[in-house]
Amino acid sequence: MNVKIWMTPIAAVLVVALAAVQAQSQEFKPSKQIETVVHTGPGGGSDLFARAIAELLQKEKLINQRMQVVNKPGGGPAVAMSYLAEKKGETHTIGFFTGVWVTNPLTTTEATVTMKDLTPIVRLVLEPAVVAVKADSPYKTMKDFIEAAKKSPGQLRQSGGSVTSRDNLMRLLIQKATGTQWTFISFPSGGERLSNLLGGHVQMMVIEPQEAGEQIRAGNLRVIASLTEKRLASLPNVPTIKEQGIDVPVIPQARGVVAPPATSREEVQYWEGVFDRFAKTATWKQYVEQNQFEDGYLKGPALTKFFDELTVQMREVLKEAGAKVVR
Amino acid sequence: MGKYKADIVAAVCLALFGVYVISVASRLDYVSEVGPGPGFFPLWLGIGLVVFGAGLIAASFSRSPSGENATSWATAGRSLTGWLGLMVAVALLGKLGFALAFVLLTVFFVAALDRRPIFLALGIGVGLAVAFQLIFVVALDVSLPTGWFGF
Amino acid sequence: MDALHNLLLGFSIALAPINLFWCLIGVILGTMVGVLPGLGPAATIAMLLPLTLKMDHTTAIIALAGIFYGARYGGSTTSILLNIPGESSSVVTCLDGYQMARQGRAGAALGISAIASFVAGTVGVLGLMLIAPPLARFALRFAPPEYFALMVLGLTMVVFLAGESMIKALLAMFVGLWIATIGADLFTAESRFTFGQAKLLGGVDFIAATVGVFAIGEVMVNLEAQGGAEVFKLGKGLRNLLPTWQDLKDCRFAFLNGSLVGFFVGALPGAGATVASFMSYGIEKAFSRHPEKFGTGVIEGVAAPEGANNADAGGALVPLLTLGIPGGNTTAILLGGLILWGYKPGPLLIQEHPELFWGLVASMYVGNVLLLVLNLPLVPLFAQILRLPYYVLYPLIVGISIVGVYSVNNSLFDVWLMGIFGLLGYLMRKLDFPAAALILGMVLGDSLERALRQSLMMSQGDISILVTRPISATLLAISAGVLLLPLARKVRSWRVEAIERES
Repeated sequence: MNVKIWMTPIAAVLVVALAAVQAQSQEFKPSKQIETVVHTGPGGGSDLFARAIAELLQKEKLINQRMQVVNKPGGGPAVAMSYLAEKKGETHTIGFFTGVWVTNPLTTTEATVTMKDLTPIVRLVLEPAVVAVKADSPYKTMKDFIEAAKKSPGQLRQSGGSVTSRDNLMRLLIQKATGTQWTFISFPSGGERLSNLLGGHVQMMVIEPQEAGEQIRAGNLRVIASLTEKRLASLPNVPTIKEQGIDVPVIPQARGVVAPPATSREEVQYWEGVFDRFAKTATWKQYVEQNQFEDGYLKGPALTKFFDELTVQMREVLKEAGAKVVR
Repeated sequence: MGKYKADIVAAVCLALFGVYVISVASRLDYVSEVGPGPGFFPLWLGIGLVVFGAGLIAASFSRSPSGENATSWATAGRSLTGWLGLMVAVALLGKLGFALAFVLLTVFFVAALDRRPIFLALGIGVGLAVAFQLIFVVALDVSLPTGWFGF
Repeated sequence: MDALHNLLLGFSIALAPINLFWCLIGVILGTMVGVLPGLGPAATIAMLLPLTLKMDHTTAIIALAGIFYGARYGGSTTSILLNIPGESSSVVTCLDGYQMARQGRAGAALGISAIASFVAGTVGVLGLMLIAPPLARFALRFAPPEYFALMVLGLTMVVFLAGESMIKALLAMFVGLWIATIGADLFTAESRFTFGQAKLLGGVDFIAATVGVFAIGEVMVNLEAQGGAEVFKLGKGLRNLLPTWQDLKDCRFAFLNGSLVGFFVGALPGAGATVASFMSYGIEKAFSRHPEKFGTGVIEGVAAPEGANNADAGGALVPLLTLGIPGGNTTAILLGGLILWGYKPGPLLIQEHPELFWGLVASMYVGNVLLLVLNLPLVPLFAQILRLPYYVLYPLIVGISIVGVYSVNNSLFDVWLMGIFGLLGYLMRKLDFPAAALILGMVLGDSLERALRQSLMMSQGDISILVTRPISATLLAISAGVLLLPLARKVRSWRVEAIERES
C-alpha cells in the first residue's frame, strides 16, 4: 500500500476541517451591507432615527459596512415585522423598533409576528412626552385643564395619533385617574396635529419635547406637564404629571434595534459590542441631548424582560381603552 | 357583444360588488364611540355602487340595443394572453430575479405574441435587461428582485 | 422694501459658485428621479442626507430643495411619452399628455410642461417670498371640516373627468374610494377589506395602482392589434418638437390656474400635489371654451396640472419654513435634514437664519431657470424615444413599470398589485369607464373619510359643523355649484330634445 497517495487527500481534509472549526469559533463580522428595516416611509420618525444612528455609527468608525435603510411601511409595524420574520436565520439584517411594535400585534389579527419572535439586540432611547397647550390658552397647569374638562365633559379636544398610540393611552389613563373626559381626534401626521393645536381647533396635545421646542421658544406653545418620572432637563420649570397629583404610570416610547428570529449568538454579540462602544461616545451623548431623549440603553435579558413587562402593561391599558385585544 | 350589453354585464358586476361591500361593512361598527365608525364609509360606498349600478343598467336598456360602437372582444384574447404572460413573469421574479424573468417576458411578447424572430426578441430582452441593471442597480443604487442566481 | 433687500442678500448667496454648482446638481438629480416612476424625491433626499453633513448648510438645503422641486419637472416625461405616471402628481398629465404624444405632438406636450412648470414654479417662489407668514397663518385656520370640504370639491372634479357617461365616472370613482378604504382604519385600528393579508394593512400602494392602470392597461390595449397599430403618429418638422406661439397663448389661463391652485393647496399640510393637479385640471376644463375636447390631447390639459404640481413645491415649503411643520413626506425629510444640521425649524427660523431662507428662495428662482434651460433642449431628444419600434417600446414600458413599482417598497407584492390593476385598467378601457375617476377616488378617499370623521369627532356628532364654519361652507357651496353644472346642461339638452321630438 502506497501511503503517500493518501497523504494529500488526508491533508486536504484536515485543512478543511481545521478551517471549519476556526470559522465556527470566529466572531461575526459583517461582510456586505446591512439591511436596516424601518416601519415608516422616508421622512418618518423611525426612518430619520435609523439614518441618524447609521450616520453616527459610521462617523465613529464603529461599523465598516454600509447600513442601507429599507422602508417597509404598512399597517403600523406589521409589514416591517413580518418582513424581518421572513429573514429568519439570515444575517446582515436588523430592524429599528418603537413601542408600537409591541402594541400593534395586540390589537391587529393580521399582525402575526410579535416581539417574542424577533431577537432583541438593544434598546437605545426612551422618548419622553409632554402635555402642551396653546400659549394664549387659559390653562397654566394640568390642574386647570382637568378642571375645565370636568366642567364641560367631552367638549375639550386633544389631537394625537391612532387610538392605540401613546397619546391616547395616556389620555385614557389620566381620564380614569381624574374622573374626567375629553375628546380625542386622530391625525396621521405630526404636522397636522401641531397645526390643529396652533390653529386653536384642539385644546391640547401630547408631544415630544423636541418637536415642541421651537414653538415654545417662539412663544406659541406652553407645556403644562411632563409625562415622565423626573423633570426634564430642558424644561426644569415644568412639573411632572405625578407632581401635580395625577398618579398614572408613565408609558415609555422606546426605540432600539432587533434582529430576525434565530439570529446567531455571534451576531448578537457583535451588535451588542458595537452599541456598547457607541453608547460610551460623546457623539451619542450629544445626540441624545440634542433630541431631548432619555438615554435608555438596555440589552440582553433585561431587554427581554422590558418587552415582556411592556406587553403586559399595554394589554391592560388597551383593554381599558376599549380596544379589541386579540392576543 | 354589443356595447350596451357589455355595459349591462359590467353594471351587474359592480352592483353585486356593491352588495359584497355592504355585507362586509355591516359587520364593522357603523358608529364608534367617537363618531362614525369603520363601517360607516364603506357602507355608503356599497350603497352608492348598487344604486349607480342599477342606474347604469337602466340607462343601457333605454338606449338602442344595436351593435353600434360595439366593443370588440375578439382581439381581447391577445391582450389577455399577454397579461397572463406578465403575471407569470411576476411570479418568477422572486425565483429567477429580475433580469432573467424580464428576458423571458420579452421573448414571450416579441417572439410568441408578435411572431418575430427569436433572436430579435432575445436581443431586445437582454439589451434592455442589461440597461436596467446598469441604470438602476449600478448608477442609482435601487435594488431589483434577485433570484437564485444572485442577479 | 425689506423683502427686496433680503432678496438681494439671497441672490448674493445663491449665485455664489458653490451654491450654483450644488443647485445644478440638485435639479439635475431631481429631474432624473422624477422621470423614473417609483423612485421618489423623498427616498433620494433621505439617501443623500449623510453626504450633506459635510457641506455648508445653506448649500445643503439648496441642493436638497433642488431635488424636491426638480422632480416635479421630470415627472411629466414618462407620463406624456409612455403613459406611466412618473410621480403621483403627474397622473393627470397622462390624460391629455399621452394623447398628444399619440398624435405626434409629444414635443409640444413636453415643452409646455417645462414652460408651465417654470412659470408656476416661479410664482410659487414669489408667493413663498412675499406672503409665506400670512399664508401660513391662514392655513392654520383649516381644520378637519375645511379639509373635508376641500376634498369634496376635489371629488366634484369627477364631473370634469366624465366623458360621455356620468354614471360610469361615478361608479369608477366609487370603486376608487373603496380601494382607499382597504387597510387598517386610522381611528380604531380595525382592518378593512384586507383579506387576511398583512401586506394590505397599509392600503394599496398608490404607485402600484396608477402604474398598473395607466401603463400596463395601455400596453394591453395596444397588444390587441398584431403588428402594433400605428400607435404613435410621428410628427414632422419643428412644429411638433416644441410648443408653438399659439400653444403658449392658449395656455395663458392654464399657467395662472396651475400656479395659484398649486401654491395654495400646497400650503395646506396634508393636501398633496396630486390633489392640486386634479383640481387645476378640473378648473381648466370648467372654464374652457372646448371642454369636450379634454382627454383627447388638449394642451391646456397638460399645462394646468404640470404647473400646479410645481407651484405646490413652493407652497409646501411655506408651513415648513414659517412654522416648522412638514406638509408631506418629502418636506418631512427636509425637516429632518434641518434638524440634523443643528437648526431648529420653527417660527423663528426665518428671523434667526435669514441667510438660509433667503438664500434658498433666491436659489429656487435660479433653479427654475436652470431647469427650464435643461429641460427644453432635452424635449426633442426625449421625443425620439417614441421612434423606437413598438416591440422594443412595450417591453421597455413593462420593464420600467416593474422596476418603478418594486423600488417604492422593495415589495414583490406591490408588483402583483400592479399586474392586477393592469387588468382592471384594461377592462375599464374596453368598457369605457374613465380610469382617472378611479384614481381620483383613490387619492381623495382616505383624506375625505378621515376629515369627515375628525370633523364629527370635533363637533360631537353634530354634522352642521361642516356648514356653519365660513371656509368650509364656501367650499361646499362651490362644490354644489360644480355638481349642478352638468345637471343644468343635461336638463337643458333634454328639453331641447323633447322640443325637437314634438315638432
